Amino acid sequence: MAKKIRVLIAKPGLDGHDRGAKVVARALRDAGMEVIYTGLRQSPEDIVEAAIQEDVDAIGLSSLSGAHMALFPDVVKLLKKRGAGDIVVVGGGIIPDEDVAKLKRAGVRAVFGPGTPLAEIVEYFRSSGT
Amino acid sequence: MKIVDQVLNGDKRATAKLISMIEDDERGASEALAAIFPHTGRAHTVGFTGPPGVGKSSLINRLVREFRERGKRIGVVAVDPTSPFTGGAVLGDRIRMADTGTDPGVFIRSMATRGHSGGLALATFDAVKVLDAFGMDLVFVETVGAGQSEVEIASRAHTTVVVQQPQSGDSVQALKAGILEIGDIHVVNKADLGGADAMVSNLDFMLEERMGWRPPVLQTSALEGKGIKELADAIVKHYRYLKAGPMWRRREADRARKELYESMRRLLAETFSEDAAGETLEGEVAAIVSRKTDPRTAAKKLLRDLKLGR
Ligand SMILES: Nc1nc2c(ncn2[C@@H]2O[C@H](COP(=O)(O)OP(=O)(O)OP(=O)(O)O)[C@@H](O)[C@H]2O)c(=O)[nH]1
Ligand SMILES: [Mg+2]
Repeated sequence: MAKKIRVLIAKPGLDGHDRGAKVVARALRDAGMEVIYTGLRQSPEDIVEAAIQEDVDAIGLSSLSGAHMALFPDVVKLLKKRGAGDIVVVGGGIIPDEDVAKLKRAGVRAVFGPGTPLAEIVEYFRSSGT
Repeated sequence: MKIVDQVLNGDKRATAKLISMIEDDERGASEALAAIFPHTGRAHTVGFTGPPGVGKSSLINRLVREFRERGKRIGVVAVDPTSPFTGGAVLGDRIRMADTGTDPGVFIRSMATRGHSGGLALATFDAVKVLDAFGMDLVFVETVGAGQSEVEIASRAHTTVVVQQPQSGDSVQALKAGILEIGDIHVVNKADLGGADAMVSNLDFMLEERMGWRPPVLQTSALEGKGIKELADAIVKHYRYLKAGPMWRRREADRARKELYESMRRLLAETFSEDAAGETLEGEVAAIVSRKTDPRTAAKKLLRDLKLGR
Protein backbone atom coordinates (compact mmCIF):
# COMPACT_ATOMS: atom_id res chain seq x y z
CA MET A 1 0.00 0.00 0.00
CA ALA A 2 1.28 3.44 -0.87
CA LYS A 3 1.84 6.00 1.82
CA LYS A 4 -1.29 8.05 2.41
CA ILE A 5 -1.06 11.76 3.02
CA ARG A 6 -2.74 12.63 6.31
CA VAL A 7 -3.75 16.18 7.15
CA LEU A 8 -5.24 17.68 10.28
CA ILE A 9 -7.65 20.55 9.72
CA ALA A 10 -8.32 22.62 12.81
CA LYS A 11 -10.01 25.82 13.65
CA PRO A 12 -8.39 27.46 16.65
CA GLY A 13 -9.79 30.58 18.25
CA LEU A 14 -13.24 31.58 19.25
CA ASP A 15 -15.12 32.50 16.09
CA GLY A 16 -17.62 29.88 15.09
CA HIS A 17 -17.37 29.70 11.33
CA ASP A 18 -15.80 26.62 9.88
CA ARG A 19 -17.28 26.66 6.40
CA GLY A 20 -13.93 27.45 4.78
CA ALA A 21 -12.19 24.75 6.79
CA LYS A 22 -14.78 22.20 5.74
CA VAL A 23 -14.51 23.12 2.06
CA VAL A 24 -10.74 22.57 2.23
CA ALA A 25 -11.21 19.29 4.13
CA ARG A 26 -13.51 17.94 1.44
CA ALA A 27 -11.22 19.07 -1.37
CA LEU A 28 -8.31 17.23 0.24
CA ARG A 29 -10.45 14.13 0.67
CA ASP A 30 -11.44 14.31 -3.00
CA ALA A 31 -7.75 14.44 -3.84
CA GLY A 32 -7.30 11.11 -2.04
CA MET A 33 -5.97 12.35 1.30
CA GLU A 34 -7.08 11.36 4.79
CA VAL A 35 -8.30 14.44 6.62
CA ILE A 36 -8.70 14.49 10.36
CA TYR A 37 -11.20 17.15 11.19
CA THR A 38 -11.15 18.31 14.81
CA GLY A 39 -13.82 20.98 14.85
CA LEU A 40 -14.00 24.37 16.45
CA ARG A 41 -12.30 26.16 19.32
CA GLN A 42 -9.26 23.99 19.74
CA SER A 43 -6.31 25.27 21.72
CA PRO A 44 -2.82 25.06 20.16
CA GLU A 45 -1.98 22.37 22.75
CA ASP A 46 -4.98 20.26 21.69
CA ILE A 47 -4.12 20.67 18.02
CA VAL A 48 -0.52 19.59 18.48
CA GLU A 49 -1.50 16.63 20.63
CA ALA A 50 -4.01 15.49 18.00
CA ALA A 51 -1.49 15.99 15.18
CA ILE A 52 1.02 13.78 16.97
CA GLN A 53 -1.45 11.01 17.75
CA GLU A 54 -2.76 11.06 14.19
CA ASP A 55 0.74 11.18 12.70
CA VAL A 56 -0.21 13.79 10.12
CA ASP A 57 2.09 15.21 7.47
CA ALA A 58 0.58 18.66 7.71
CA ILE A 59 -1.76 20.83 9.74
CA GLY A 60 -4.13 23.32 8.15
CA LEU A 61 -5.21 26.09 10.49
CA SER A 62 -8.10 28.35 9.71
CA SER A 63 -8.88 31.61 11.40
CA LEU A 64 -11.23 34.46 10.66
CA SER A 65 -11.09 36.24 13.98
CA GLY A 66 -7.68 37.83 13.98
CA ALA A 67 -6.46 35.34 16.55
CA HIS A 68 -4.04 33.88 14.02
CA MET A 69 -1.09 36.01 15.12
CA ALA A 70 -1.11 34.41 18.54
CA LEU A 71 -2.36 30.95 17.72
CA PHE A 72 -0.58 29.89 14.52
CA PRO A 73 2.98 30.55 15.80
CA ASP A 74 2.07 28.79 19.05
CA VAL A 75 1.25 25.64 17.11
CA VAL A 76 4.62 25.81 15.33
CA LYS A 77 6.46 26.34 18.62
CA LEU A 78 4.68 23.52 20.42
CA LEU A 79 5.34 21.11 17.55
CA LYS A 80 9.07 21.86 17.78
CA LYS A 81 8.96 21.35 21.53
CA ARG A 82 7.40 17.93 21.05
CA GLY A 83 10.02 16.92 18.48
CA ALA A 84 7.51 17.18 15.66
CA GLY A 85 8.90 20.20 13.83
CA ASP A 86 8.75 18.25 10.58
CA ILE A 87 4.96 18.56 10.47
CA VAL A 88 4.14 21.33 8.00
CA VAL A 89 1.88 24.11 9.30
CA VAL A 90 -0.29 25.99 6.82
CA GLY A 91 -2.65 28.86 7.56
CA GLY A 92 -5.81 30.04 5.89
CA GLY A 93 -8.51 32.61 6.39
CA ILE A 94 -8.77 36.35 6.42
CA ILE A 95 -5.21 37.40 7.16
CA PRO A 96 -3.81 40.86 6.32
CA ASP A 97 -0.70 40.98 4.10
CA GLU A 98 1.55 42.41 6.79
CA ASP A 99 0.68 39.46 9.03
CA VAL A 100 1.48 36.92 6.32
CA ALA A 101 5.17 37.85 6.34
CA LYS A 102 5.28 37.68 10.14
CA LEU A 103 3.59 34.28 10.19
CA LYS A 104 6.03 32.91 7.66
CA ARG A 105 8.92 34.15 9.74
CA ALA A 106 7.36 32.36 12.69
CA GLY A 107 7.49 29.09 10.77
CA VAL A 108 4.06 28.93 9.13
CA ARG A 109 5.01 27.56 5.72
CA ALA A 110 2.22 28.99 3.62
CA VAL A 111 -0.79 31.24 4.07
CA PHE A 112 -3.83 31.04 1.83
CA GLY A 113 -6.28 33.94 1.61
CA PRO A 114 -10.00 33.62 0.87
CA GLY A 115 -9.62 33.83 -2.92
CA THR A 116 -7.02 31.07 -3.29
CA PRO A 117 -8.04 28.39 -5.83
CA LEU A 118 -8.69 25.06 -4.09
CA ALA A 119 -6.44 23.28 -6.57
CA GLU A 120 -3.51 25.37 -5.38
CA ILE A 121 -4.19 24.48 -1.74
CA VAL A 122 -4.59 20.80 -2.58
CA GLU A 123 -1.32 20.81 -4.51
CA TYR A 124 0.49 22.43 -1.61
CA PHE A 125 -0.67 19.76 0.84
CA ARG A 126 0.19 17.03 -1.63
CA SER A 127 3.76 18.25 -1.92
CA SER A 128 4.03 18.56 1.88
CA GLY A 129 3.31 14.86 2.24
CA THR A 130 6.14 13.65 0.06
CA MET B 1 13.97 -2.32 16.88
CA LYS B 2 14.26 1.25 18.00
CA ILE B 3 10.68 2.24 17.28
CA VAL B 4 9.41 -0.73 19.28
CA ASP B 5 11.51 0.23 22.31
CA GLN B 6 10.17 3.76 22.05
CA VAL B 7 6.59 2.50 22.03
CA LEU B 8 7.25 0.31 25.05
CA ASN B 9 8.78 3.34 26.78
CA GLY B 10 5.60 5.33 26.30
CA ASP B 11 6.67 7.55 23.39
CA LYS B 12 3.48 8.88 21.77
CA ARG B 13 5.07 10.05 18.55
CA ALA B 14 6.72 6.68 17.98
CA THR B 15 3.45 4.94 18.75
CA ALA B 16 1.65 7.06 16.16
CA LYS B 17 4.44 6.45 13.62
CA LEU B 18 4.31 2.71 14.15
CA ILE B 19 0.56 2.69 13.52
CA SER B 20 1.17 4.55 10.23
CA MET B 21 3.91 2.11 9.27
CA ILE B 22 1.46 -0.74 9.69
CA GLU B 23 -1.34 1.07 7.85
CA ASP B 24 0.93 1.86 4.91
CA ASP B 25 2.44 -1.64 5.09
CA GLU B 26 5.90 -0.10 5.11
CA ARG B 27 9.09 -2.10 5.27
CA GLY B 28 9.73 -3.25 8.83
CA ALA B 29 6.06 -3.20 9.83
CA SER B 30 5.68 -6.94 10.24
CA GLU B 31 8.98 -7.22 12.14
CA ALA B 32 7.82 -4.44 14.47
CA LEU B 33 4.49 -6.18 15.01
CA ALA B 34 6.29 -9.40 15.81
CA ALA B 35 8.47 -7.55 18.31
CA ILE B 36 5.56 -5.93 20.16
CA PHE B 37 3.41 -9.03 20.19
CA PRO B 38 4.87 -10.49 23.42
CA HIS B 39 3.96 -7.20 25.11
CA THR B 40 0.29 -7.42 24.15
CA GLY B 41 -2.69 -9.30 25.51
CA ARG B 42 -3.29 -7.19 28.56
CA ALA B 43 -5.65 -4.49 27.32
CA HIS B 44 -9.40 -4.99 27.44
CA THR B 45 -10.68 -4.33 23.91
CA VAL B 46 -14.18 -2.90 23.67
CA GLY B 47 -15.90 -2.50 20.31
CA PHE B 48 -18.68 0.05 19.72
CA THR B 49 -21.02 -0.42 16.82
CA GLY B 50 -24.34 1.04 15.73
CA PRO B 51 -25.88 3.12 12.97
CA PRO B 52 -24.30 6.42 11.90
CA GLY B 53 -25.02 9.30 14.24
CA VAL B 54 -26.36 7.38 17.25
CA GLY B 55 -23.66 8.88 19.45
CA LYS B 56 -20.84 6.34 19.53
CA SER B 57 -18.09 8.95 19.57
CA SER B 58 -19.92 11.07 22.14
CA LEU B 59 -20.35 8.03 24.40
CA ILE B 60 -16.69 7.07 24.04
CA ASN B 61 -15.75 10.63 24.93
CA ARG B 62 -17.74 10.36 28.18
CA LEU B 63 -16.47 6.86 28.95
CA VAL B 64 -12.85 7.91 28.48
CA ARG B 65 -13.31 10.55 31.16
CA GLU B 66 -15.11 8.12 33.45
CA PHE B 67 -12.35 5.52 33.16
CA ARG B 68 -9.67 8.20 33.56
CA GLU B 69 -11.26 9.09 36.88
CA ARG B 70 -10.96 5.43 37.78
CA GLY B 71 -7.24 5.63 37.03
CA LYS B 72 -7.29 3.71 33.75
CA ARG B 73 -5.33 4.57 30.62
CA ILE B 74 -7.39 4.53 27.44
CA GLY B 75 -6.70 4.07 23.76
CA VAL B 76 -9.29 4.73 21.06
CA VAL B 77 -9.27 3.65 17.42
CA ALA B 78 -12.10 5.31 15.50
CA VAL B 79 -12.77 3.93 12.04
CA ASP B 80 -14.54 5.82 9.24
CA PRO B 81 -15.08 4.76 5.63
CA THR B 82 -12.72 5.61 2.80
CA SER B 83 -14.38 7.03 -0.29
CA PRO B 84 -14.30 4.27 -2.91
CA PHE B 85 -14.04 6.88 -5.65
CA THR B 86 -11.17 9.02 -4.46
CA GLY B 87 -9.41 6.89 -1.84
CA GLY B 88 -9.65 9.82 0.54
CA ALA B 89 -11.59 10.22 3.77
CA VAL B 90 -12.74 12.84 6.21
CA LEU B 91 -12.29 11.42 9.70
CA GLY B 92 -14.55 13.35 12.03
CA ASP B 93 -14.90 11.29 15.19
CA ARG B 94 -12.40 13.47 17.04
CA ILE B 95 -14.88 16.38 16.92
CA ARG B 96 -16.95 14.57 19.56
CA MET B 97 -13.94 13.40 21.53
CA ALA B 98 -12.43 16.78 22.22
CA ASP B 99 -12.77 16.65 26.00
CA THR B 100 -9.63 14.65 26.61
CA GLY B 101 -7.38 17.31 25.09
CA THR B 102 -3.80 16.71 26.12
CA ASP B 103 -4.37 14.07 28.80
CA PRO B 104 -1.23 11.88 28.68
CA GLY B 105 -3.27 8.80 29.61
CA VAL B 106 -5.35 8.95 26.44
CA PHE B 107 -4.43 8.15 22.85
CA ILE B 108 -6.99 8.60 20.07
CA ARG B 109 -6.35 7.48 16.52
CA SER B 110 -8.66 8.03 13.57
CA MET B 111 -8.45 5.42 10.85
CA ALA B 112 -9.91 5.10 7.37
CA THR B 113 -11.10 1.70 6.11
CA ARG B 114 -8.93 1.96 2.96
CA GLY B 115 -11.12 -0.38 0.99
CA HIS B 116 -11.36 -3.09 3.63
CA SER B 117 -14.92 -4.28 4.04
CA GLY B 118 -16.72 -4.99 7.27
CA GLY B 119 -16.49 -1.53 8.83
CA LEU B 120 -12.92 -1.99 9.98
CA ALA B 121 -9.56 -1.29 8.38
CA LEU B 122 -7.05 -4.06 7.82
CA ALA B 123 -4.78 -2.33 10.35
CA THR B 124 -7.41 -1.67 13.03
CA PHE B 125 -6.53 -4.52 15.34
CA ASP B 126 -2.82 -4.13 14.74
CA ALA B 127 -3.27 -0.56 15.98
CA VAL B 128 -5.07 -1.99 18.99
CA LYS B 129 -2.01 -4.17 19.64
CA VAL B 130 0.28 -1.15 19.44
CA LEU B 131 -1.87 0.73 21.97
CA ASP B 132 -1.94 -2.37 24.16
CA ALA B 133 1.87 -2.56 24.10
CA PHE B 134 2.00 1.20 24.72
CA GLY B 135 0.37 0.44 28.06
CA MET B 136 -3.33 1.17 27.65
CA ASP B 137 -5.66 -0.64 30.05
CA LEU B 138 -8.63 -0.35 27.74
CA VAL B 139 -8.80 0.15 24.00
CA PHE B 140 -12.10 1.30 22.49
CA VAL B 141 -12.76 0.62 18.82
CA GLU B 142 -15.45 2.63 17.07
CA THR B 143 -16.64 1.08 13.84
CA VAL B 144 -18.99 2.14 11.08
CA GLY B 145 -22.18 0.25 11.68
CA ALA B 146 -23.39 -1.11 8.38
CA GLY B 147 -24.35 -4.67 7.60
CA GLN B 148 -21.70 -7.18 8.50
CA SER B 149 -19.39 -4.78 10.30
CA GLU B 150 -21.12 -5.58 13.58
CA VAL B 151 -20.19 -9.21 13.22
CA GLU B 152 -16.63 -8.36 12.29
CA ILE B 153 -16.05 -6.25 15.39
CA ALA B 154 -17.76 -8.81 17.61
CA SER B 155 -15.41 -11.55 16.51
CA ARG B 156 -12.40 -9.45 17.45
CA ALA B 157 -13.20 -7.38 20.51
CA HIS B 158 -13.46 -8.83 24.00
CA THR B 159 -16.63 -6.88 24.64
CA THR B 160 -19.05 -5.53 22.05
CA VAL B 161 -21.30 -2.59 22.85
CA VAL B 162 -24.21 -2.14 20.45
CA VAL B 163 -25.47 1.45 20.46
CA GLN B 164 -28.91 2.44 19.22
CA GLN B 165 -31.27 5.31 19.71
CA PRO B 166 -34.98 5.45 20.49
CA GLN B 167 -37.05 4.62 17.46
CA SER B 168 -40.58 5.59 16.77
CA GLY B 169 -43.17 3.01 15.73
CA ASP B 170 -42.66 -0.69 16.11
CA SER B 171 -39.07 -0.68 17.22
CA VAL B 172 -38.89 -4.43 17.63
CA GLN B 173 -39.33 -4.90 13.92
CA ALA B 174 -36.89 -2.14 13.17
CA LEU B 175 -34.09 -3.97 14.95
CA LYS B 176 -31.62 -5.21 12.45
CA ALA B 177 -31.27 -8.96 12.38
CA GLY B 178 -28.08 -10.17 13.94
CA ILE B 179 -27.60 -7.15 16.15
CA LEU B 180 -29.06 -8.92 19.17
CA GLU B 181 -26.65 -11.84 18.97
CA ILE B 182 -23.47 -9.84 18.87
CA GLY B 183 -24.03 -7.34 21.67
CA ASP B 184 -22.52 -8.12 25.07
CA ILE B 185 -23.97 -4.83 26.21
CA HIS B 186 -26.83 -2.93 24.58
CA VAL B 187 -27.16 0.82 24.88
CA VAL B 188 -30.07 3.04 24.00
CA ASN B 189 -28.43 6.44 23.72
CA LYS B 190 -30.13 9.84 23.33
CA ALA B 191 -32.48 8.93 26.16
CA ASP B 192 -33.00 12.67 26.60
CA LEU B 193 -35.06 12.64 23.41
CA GLY B 194 -37.72 10.42 24.98
CA GLY B 195 -39.00 7.03 23.90
CA ALA B 196 -36.03 5.20 25.39
CA ASP B 197 -38.07 3.24 27.95
CA ALA B 198 -40.09 1.41 25.30
CA MET B 199 -36.99 0.68 23.29
CA VAL B 200 -35.20 -0.69 26.34
CA SER B 201 -38.02 -3.02 27.30
CA ASN B 202 -38.39 -4.24 23.74
CA LEU B 203 -34.72 -5.07 23.58
CA ASP B 204 -34.71 -6.54 27.03
CA PHE B 205 -37.62 -8.81 26.13
CA MET B 206 -35.71 -10.26 23.19
CA LEU B 207 -32.41 -10.93 24.91
CA GLU B 208 -31.49 -14.12 26.64
CA GLU B 209 -28.67 -15.42 28.72
CA ARG B 210 -26.02 -17.32 26.84
CA MET B 211 -22.97 -18.97 28.29
CA GLY B 212 -23.53 -17.41 31.66
CA TRP B 213 -23.91 -13.82 30.49
CA ARG B 214 -27.16 -11.93 30.21
CA PRO B 215 -26.53 -8.84 28.01
CA PRO B 216 -27.76 -5.79 29.92
CA VAL B 217 -29.72 -3.03 28.22
CA LEU B 218 -28.79 0.44 29.41
CA GLN B 219 -30.10 3.93 28.78
CA THR B 220 -27.64 6.75 28.28
CA SER B 221 -27.52 10.36 27.29
CA ALA B 222 -24.05 11.19 26.08
CA LEU B 223 -25.29 14.75 25.73
CA GLU B 224 -26.24 15.13 29.38
CA GLY B 225 -23.72 12.63 30.73
CA LYS B 226 -26.40 10.32 32.11
CA GLY B 227 -25.99 6.56 32.48
CA ILE B 228 -22.26 6.74 31.83
CA LYS B 229 -21.18 5.29 35.19
CA GLU B 230 -23.61 2.41 34.72
CA LEU B 231 -22.21 1.73 31.25
CA ALA B 232 -18.65 1.79 32.57
CA ASP B 233 -19.71 -0.59 35.35
CA ALA B 234 -21.26 -2.96 32.79
CA ILE B 235 -18.05 -2.95 30.75
CA VAL B 236 -16.03 -3.82 33.87
CA LYS B 237 -18.53 -6.48 34.84
CA HIS B 238 -18.26 -8.13 31.42
CA TYR B 239 -14.46 -8.08 31.71
CA ARG B 240 -14.70 -9.86 35.07
CA TYR B 241 -17.12 -12.39 33.60
CA LEU B 242 -14.70 -13.12 30.73
CA LYS B 243 -11.74 -13.43 33.06
CA ALA B 244 -13.52 -15.58 35.65
CA GLY B 245 -14.43 -18.35 33.21
CA PRO B 246 -13.12 -19.83 29.97
CA MET B 247 -14.46 -17.00 27.81
CA TRP B 248 -11.43 -14.70 27.75
CA ARG B 249 -9.23 -17.46 26.41
CA ARG B 250 -11.90 -18.56 24.00
CA ARG B 251 -12.25 -15.07 22.55
CA GLU B 252 -8.50 -14.73 22.31
CA ALA B 253 -8.36 -18.05 20.45
CA ASP B 254 -11.13 -16.95 18.08
CA ARG B 255 -9.18 -13.84 17.29
CA ALA B 256 -5.89 -15.67 16.92
CA ARG B 257 -7.51 -18.13 14.53
CA LYS B 258 -8.93 -15.30 12.44
CA GLU B 259 -5.62 -13.48 12.34
CA LEU B 260 -3.76 -16.64 11.43
CA TYR B 261 -6.06 -17.32 8.49
CA GLU B 262 -5.82 -13.70 7.44
CA SER B 263 -2.03 -13.76 7.56
CA MET B 264 -1.93 -16.93 5.52
CA ARG B 265 -4.24 -15.41 2.93
CA ARG B 266 -2.07 -12.30 2.75
CA LEU B 267 1.13 -14.27 2.48
CA LEU B 268 -0.33 -16.29 -0.36
CA ALA B 269 -1.52 -13.22 -2.19
CA GLU B 270 1.85 -11.53 -1.75
CA THR B 271 3.75 -14.59 -2.89
CA PHE B 272 1.72 -14.93 -6.05
CA SER B 273 1.85 -11.25 -6.84
CA GLU B 274 5.63 -11.43 -7.01
CA ASP B 275 6.93 -11.82 -10.56
CA ALA B 276 8.33 -15.31 -10.62
CA ALA B 277 5.43 -16.83 -8.78
CA GLY B 278 3.05 -14.81 -10.95
CA GLU B 279 4.22 -16.78 -13.95
CA THR B 280 3.45 -20.05 -12.22
CA LEU B 281 0.04 -18.73 -11.35
CA GLU B 282 -0.63 -17.57 -14.91
CA GLY B 283 0.48 -20.96 -16.18
CA GLU B 284 -2.21 -22.61 -14.09
CA VAL B 285 -4.74 -19.96 -15.14
CA ALA B 286 -4.08 -20.80 -18.80
CA ALA B 287 -4.31 -24.53 -18.06
CA ILE B 288 -7.70 -24.02 -16.39
CA VAL B 289 -9.03 -21.94 -19.28
CA SER B 290 -8.03 -24.61 -21.79
CA ARG B 291 -9.58 -27.26 -19.52
CA LYS B 292 -6.29 -29.08 -18.98
CA THR B 293 -6.89 -28.84 -15.27
CA ASP B 294 -9.55 -27.53 -12.90
CA PRO B 295 -9.25 -24.77 -10.27
CA ARG B 296 -9.22 -27.10 -7.26
CA THR B 297 -6.58 -29.44 -8.65
CA ALA B 298 -4.47 -26.48 -9.75
CA ALA B 299 -4.78 -24.90 -6.31
CA LYS B 300 -3.62 -28.09 -4.61
CA LYS B 301 -0.67 -28.34 -6.96
CA LEU B 302 0.33 -24.72 -6.37
CA LEU B 303 0.12 -25.13 -2.60
CA ARG B 304 2.13 -28.33 -2.73
CA ASP B 305 4.91 -26.69 -4.76
CA LEU B 306 4.80 -23.48 -2.82
CA LYS B 307 7.99 -21.83 -1.64
CA LEU B 308 6.90 -18.95 0.51
CA GLY B 309 9.16 -15.95 0.24
CA ARG B 310 9.99 -13.46 2.98
N1 LIG C 1 -29.88 14.53 22.03
C1 LIG C 1 -28.76 13.82 22.04
N2 LIG C 1 -27.88 13.97 21.05
C2 LIG C 1 -26.74 13.22 21.09
C3 LIG C 1 -26.47 12.33 22.15
N3 LIG C 1 -25.28 11.73 21.89
C4 LIG C 1 -24.83 12.24 20.74
N4 LIG C 1 -25.71 13.15 20.26
C5 LIG C 1 -25.57 13.94 19.01
O1 LIG C 1 -25.69 13.09 17.90
C6 LIG C 1 -24.82 13.50 16.85
C7 LIG C 1 -23.89 12.37 16.45
O2 LIG C 1 -23.07 12.05 17.54
P1 LIG C 1 -21.73 11.21 17.37
O3 LIG C 1 -21.18 10.96 18.71
O4 LIG C 1 -20.87 11.85 16.37
O5 LIG C 1 -22.34 9.86 16.75
P2 LIG C 1 -21.56 8.64 16.08
O6 LIG C 1 -22.39 7.44 16.30
O7 LIG C 1 -20.16 8.60 16.55
O8 LIG C 1 -21.61 9.07 14.56
P3 LIG C 1 -20.76 8.47 13.34
O9 LIG C 1 -19.34 8.33 13.79
O10 LIG C 1 -20.92 9.49 12.26
O11 LIG C 1 -21.40 7.17 13.00
C8 LIG C 1 -24.07 14.71 17.38
O12 LIG C 1 -24.72 15.86 16.92
C9 LIG C 1 -24.21 14.59 18.88
O13 LIG C 1 -24.16 15.82 19.54
C10 LIG C 1 -27.43 12.22 23.21
O14 LIG C 1 -27.28 11.47 24.18
N5 LIG C 1 -28.55 12.98 23.09
MG1 LIG D 1 -18.35 8.71 15.45
